[in-house]
Amino acid sequence: MTTQDERRSEFDAACRIAGLTLSARDAELLYAMWLDWLPQRDRLRGAVPAPEDEPWR
Amino acid sequence: MAVNIADLDLYGVSQALETRALTSVEATDAYLARIAQFDPVLRSYITVTADMARAQAAEADAEIGRGRRRGPLHGVPIALKDLIAVAGVKMTGGSRVLADHVPARDAFVTRRLKDAGAVLLGKLAMHEFAFGRPIVDGPFPTGRNPWDIRRAPAGSSSGSAVAAAAGLCAGALGSDTGGSVRGPASMTGLVGHKPTYGLVSRSGVLPLSWSLDHVGPMTRSVWDSAVLLQAIAGADPDDTSTRGVVTQDYVAQLEDGARGRRLGLLKRYYLDYPGLSDEVRDASLTAFDVLRKEGATIEEVDAPSLDLAMAAWAPIMSEAYEYHAETLRQKPETYGEGVRTRIYLSALFTAQDVQRAQRLRARIGREVDALLSRVDALIFPGQAAPALRFEDFPSTGFAPAPIRYTAPWNLLGLPAVVAPCGFSRDGLPMSIQLVGRRFDDATVLRIARAYERVTDWHRRRPDSSRWTV
Repeated sequence: MTTQDERRSEFDAACRIAGLTLSARDAELLYAMWLDWLPQRDRLRGAVPAPEDEPWR
Repeated sequence: MAVNIADLDLYGVSQALETRALTSVEATDAYLARIAQFDPVLRSYITVTADMARAQAAEADAEIGRGRRRGPLHGVPIALKDLIAVAGVKMTGGSRVLADHVPARDAFVTRRLKDAGAVLLGKLAMHEFAFGRPIVDGPFPTGRNPWDIRRAPAGSSSGSAVAAAAGLCAGALGSDTGGSVRGPASMTGLVGHKPTYGLVSRSGVLPLSWSLDHVGPMTRSVWDSAVLLQAIAGADPDDTSTRGVVTQDYVAQLEDGARGRRLGLLKRYYLDYPGLSDEVRDASLTAFDVLRKEGATIEEVDAPSLDLAMAAWAPIMSEAYEYHAETLRQKPETYGEGVRTRIYLSALFTAQDVQRAQRLRARIGREVDALLSRVDALIFPGQAAPALRFEDFPSTGFAPAPIRYTAPWNLLGLPAVVAPCGFSRDGLPMSIQLVGRRFDDATVLRIARAYERVTDWHRRRPDSSRWTV
C-alpha cells in the first residue's frame, strides 16, 4: 500500500524528471490533478498489449 | 424584411436568400443587431467583424443580384471559433498568450467558406487553448448557455454553441479534441459534427493535440451541418492528414431515411455507465425507438477495449505539452490556471505511457472497426448529463469522466454526430450520438436527419427574455 508521503515523493520526482519549475500553488493544483489521474494510469499500465496492438499497422 | 432571423436555421436563412425574401446585408445586420443586444450577457463573441461582414454581405448581394448564387452558403452569415485563422483578424485562442495575435493568412477552412460566399460575423469564445475550463471572469469568459444562463455550455467550443443556439449566427465552426464540438452542441440543443480525422484540414487552426484535433460544424439542423461540411471537406497540401481524404456528397442522401440501416447500440459502455443521468438514458432510449420505427434495426454490440479509451486518450494529449512547453516555460503567468495545470500534467506522462496508449488505441480501433463491419453506425447517448452550472464544473480533473461519451471517437478518428433528442425537466437539451465508418460521414448525417425529420427538438428555441443578469 502506497502512503501519501510515497505518492508525494513519486509526484515530486516526476516533476523533476519533466523539468517543471512550479509555483507552490501550481504544484498543489497539479498534485491534485495527478492524484485524480492515477487510477487511469494504473489501468493504462495494467493493460497488457497484444503483439498485434501496434500503431500505424 | 418580414423574416425573423432568430427563428431560422442555416437552411432557413439560405432559402430566404435564395427566394430573395432576405438580402445578405439584411441578414448580416439582423445578426449584428442581435449580437449587440444579447452578447453582453451571452458572451459568445471575442471579436465581431462587423465592417468585414457588411462588406462581404454587400458583395454577396451584388453577385446574387447578377443571377449568380454560388451555392447554399452564399450570403449566409456564420462565425468561427477563435482558433481558426482569418487573415487580418485577431485570433486569441481564448488566451492572454495570444491576445494581440493577428494571423496573416486564412485557415484552409476559412478560405473554403469565403469561396462558398459565406459572410464571417466574427470570432467566437472558447476555453483557453481549447483545454481550459469554464470561467466567468477575465478577458475571455466562457459563454452562457442560452437555455439557462446560469449554466455553462460546456466546451471548449462554447462560443460557437452559444452563438448558433441563440441565433447570433446561422451556424458556426468549432474544434473537437475530446468532445469540444459535440459536448457544447449537446448542451445547447444543436447538431454537432466531428468529421472523420483527415476529412477537414486543420491548417491555420491552432493545435491542441495533433492526432486528436478535428474541425467541425455546430448548427441548428443536420442539413446545416452537411452544407458546412461540404464546403470545408477536402484535401489540403498544408495538412498531410488529408492526403488520403475521401469526400462524399453530404446533402444528397440526407432524405434517404433510416430504413434498412443497421445500428449498433453500445449498451454496456454507455447506457450502463453509472454516471449517465436517468433523463438522458430515457430520452436516448425513446430516440432509439423512433429510429426503429423509421426502419432501422438496432442490436446491442460491445467493444470491451473501450474501457481503456480514457486511459489511452490522456497520454496522447501530451502532444499539447510539446506545443506549449516553450511558451509555458517563458511566461507561465500568461496562461490561466486551469489550462496551465492540464498542460503541466501532460508533461508527467512517461514515454512508455504514451506508447502504451498508442498500442491500446490500435486495439480499440481494431475492435470498433470489426463492429462497424457488421453495422452501419454505432449509437448511444450524446452526453452523460445536461448542462452544469458554472460552479459545478470539477476543478481538478484532467479528463472528466463524462468525456467518455466523446473522447474515444477522437482517439479513433471516426465521424461522430450529436443531435438533440429532448429536454430535461429543467428545460435543458439532451442528445443522441452516432458514430460511423471512416470517411462515411454521409451515413451518420443521414441517420441523424432520419431522426430529426420526425421529431421537433431541433425547432425549439431558447427564450431570449431570460437573457438578463
